[in-house]
Amino acid sequence: MNAHDAPDPWRMGPEELDGHTIDELADYLDAGRSPADPTIDESAGCRIALDALVRLRGLTSELIEADEAAEPAADDSWVQGILSGIALDARAGRRIPLAVGADAGITEGAVRGVIRAAENAVAGVLIGRCRFQGDITAAGEPVRVLVEASVPYGAAIPDLVDRLRAEIGARLAAHTTLNVEGIDITVSDVRQLSNRTGEGR
Amino acid sequence: MSHHDDALETADDAIVAGRAADGDTDAFAVLVRRYAPMMRAYARRILSGTADVDDVVQDAFITAWGELPKLDDPGRVKSWLMRITSRKAIDRVRAARPHTDLDDIDPAAPEVTSPARQAEVRAGVAELSAALKALPAPQRECWVLREIGGYSYEEIADELGVPLSTARGLLARARKDLIVRMEHWR
Repeated sequence: MNAHDAPDPWRMGPEELDGHTIDELADYLDAGRSPADPTIDESAGCRIALDALVRLRGLTSELIEADEAAEPAADDSWVQGILSGIALDARAGRRIPLAVGADAGITEGAVRGVIRAAENAVAGVLIGRCRFQGDITAAGEPVRVLVEASVPYGAAIPDLVDRLRAEIGARLAAHTTLNVEGIDITVSDVRQLSNRTGEGR
Repeated sequence: MSHHDDALETADDAIVAGRAADGDTDAFAVLVRRYAPMMRAYARRILSGTADVDDVVQDAFITAWGELPKLDDPGRVKSWLMRITSRKAIDRVRAARPHTDLDDIDPAAPEVTSPARQAEVRAGVAELSAALKALPAPQRECWVLREIGGYSYEEIADELGVPLSTARGLLARARKDLIVRMEHWR
């Protein structure tokens, strides 16, 4: 393109970059230009390339946003197609005996369902992950229930937690023979009214 | 939509993915709606219109449902879904060209732009989009995995089944090509 003998900085070869390569410069940028490398910082060719990489990165962030914004929302029939394709029985988990030596039991998944249903009695609360500490497969063994919960902004959290704990305890007592020695509730999310995606970017 | 569904939609990823891991399909549906556009956009960049993006994302979600109980931190579900998406997309790429020399692949024919893709974007972004589509497929795949997917060089090599030096070389050429084109947009 140009007939001059001077190196064209846009060739981005080792000659223009004073012995460096474009991916070395990208790595340097990734590392926050630290530790400082004077052979890069003092090279005019490298500085041109670094500026270009920085601009490319800025455009890349904008591209990611624009790409996502250009995609249509998932339509209902497509979502239903996925839901009908997943194996519902994959979450049964361990079998919890109803009594010592009993030939009746309840699955871990069903107990989680019982625990989650407690949220219906405590307005605004949502239950997240639910775990058991202790051997739930041996009847009568002491078990702790660990529950994560989400509450709406502005709610009195200690009150909600107490009510949720009582509700879970009552339901477990009614529907299982688990020897529950404690129900630990961790409020890990406070929902804002307009918080649509839940995760900051 | 019930109050309950509304609450789920505004709950954070840890709560929603935690419930889905525990078997709540309503929570899983919220994850599907929340991240399908992001995953489609990512798959579309990797594949550049050469395969059905919907199928890739659907596949990714079905795998995700099966593996969610193994996800240690449900709060990281977003980046975890991105990983599964690129794996599914690259599986298709590799199935379509099992033994080709990655250096000899020409760019795919430009994608026909669908109405959904014509949202207004600033000129530089549109140019970057076009430049990406013009890259030879292996270069584009490396670049997208690195810059959109956040893969390390080793992970790219592993995913594409090429030596580390090849992955680095493809990425270097992609970067160089993009910034040279970008200079012409200025």
